[in-house]
Amino acid sequence: MSIVGGLALFDLAARISKQPFIPEMSDVFVRIFELLTDQDVLSDFNRSLQNLFLGFTISVVFGILIGVLCGRYDTVERTLRPYLNLMLTSPSILFVPIYFAIFGISRWAIIVLIIDYSVFFLIVSVTTAVQSVSKETVEMASVFGATEKQTLRLIYLPSAMPVIFTALRVTVGRAVKGMINGELFIAVVGIGARSQSFARQLDMVGVFALAIIVVCIALLLGAFLNVFDKRVNSWAPQARASK
Amino acid sequence: MIKISNAHKTFVKPATRKTPERKVEVLNGIDLDIQENEFITIVGPSGCGKTTLLRAIAGLVKLDSGSIVAAGETVAGPSPDRAMVFQSFALMPWANVIRNVAFGLEIRGVDKEEREQTARDLIKTVGLAGFENSLPSELSGGMKQRVGLARALAVNPRILLMDEPFGGLDEQTKRLMQEELLRLWEAQRKTVVFVTHSLDEAILLADRCILMAARPGRITEVLDIPLGRPRTREAERTSTYIDLKEKIWDHLRTAQIQELAEKAN
Repeated sequence: MSIVGGLALFDLAARISKQPFIPEMSDVFVRIFELLTDQDVLSDFNRSLQNLFLGFTISVVFGILIGVLCGRYDTVERTLRPYLNLMLTSPSILFVPIYFAIFGISRWAIIVLIIDYSVFFLIVSVTTAVQSVSKETVEMASVFGATEKQTLRLIYLPSAMPVIFTALRVTVGRAVKGMINGELFIAVVGIGARSQSFARQLDMVGVFALAIIVVCIALLLGAFLNVFDKRVNSWAPQARASK
Repeated sequence: MIKISNAHKTFVKPATRKTPERKVEVLNGIDLDIQENEFITIVGPSGCGKTTLLRAIAGLVKLDSGSIVAAGETVAGPSPDRAMVFQSFALMPWANVIRNVAFGLEIRGVDKEEREQTARDLIKTVGLAGFENSLPSELSGGMKQRVGLARALAVNPRILLMDEPFGGLDEQTKRLMQEELLRLWEAQRKTVVFVTHSLDEAILLADRCILMAARPGRITEVLDIPLGRPRTREAERTSTYIDLKEKIWDHLRTAQIQELAEKAN
């Protein structure tokens, strides 16, 4: 509801102000439709989303793996913590020239930037999640003779899952940011490139249309995660509250 | 069944900026022989090391010196012969009752069908039939501890270690659980070591009651409980019971007053 209201307000503002940088929503929606039926645009999306998917998947695998290790073993955490803080607080965009130098103008430079945007946040979140697992449950597992591997799989992971999913939702957004930045600053390809060319032509309708599509993709990915979240974490109060 | 010889354990609290290093002798030369299928309760003021002693038998705490031999083997870590019931229940909140009960068997690699069958039987035994698929958050405290008890029994241990298992329950639930435990133990005898704060619990359940005192943690008295078996609440009205309760309370009161005096100095 609030989104529909916002769009209506925006449309009203556009019609009254007649400024070229505030396009009318009706035009934007027509353009969205045009863009989504254009073969060239679709292949741009295809390319961008492949990078996004790869980068996100790699981030999830390493983020959870390293995060669980950090959360379980103090030594690992103490060793990695300075680097994690460094990577978390420094603007990822600063590292673009380095990725560019290593990977050249290739998709891998973009994928690495996507990982840069998402993996460190995920590691830190998973670390905290694992550290807050109830000591009693862990002790219970050890009384019943659980091995280290069993404790990680049967206690730490399921217990940390609700927080991990919350972190994943944020990570999706960060990965999309990484993708667009990569396409703007490394290899001018895909959705980012198209947006830039619209901007150069002062085609504000096109810029808005693309932005809305990208936002919708991020939201869709988030919704997709939610479905899994409810399945895996139906026991947790926060997951049940959002049912 | 369990032989504890000259057990010593000291916890060292490292120095902080405000307080110097502190050493707490929680176990000081503990000697105790527990017979097979004997029901032992341990009572004492807080800080007397009763929980540490239980955790040492479980293999969760390493002794500084001395030894514990349980079911024929020297305790070096947790073992399938010894199962534990926790005061805080320690259930897995994401797993339903049946998975919680079957946990010990899952750890041992028993296949799913077999372990769930065992779990179902025990869930019935502890009176939770119909709650197999409930989550712990849907159960009351007493029901949660029934799950904890079923989980411990599922691995068919020779020794059952219970750390104030009913300490967090309200009075009527606690009484009911005590009666259930007596019934279960009559049906399926095991060696039980039961740590408690409750005088009634210490007498009602036990064959022998161990009294401990703090600073340093030590055994001060071992009381035989000459009440008949199978035992019911009726026992509470006998003069033996009342005398025993008086004796234990005397002991605890002395310990408690001593502690206050020490703190005041």
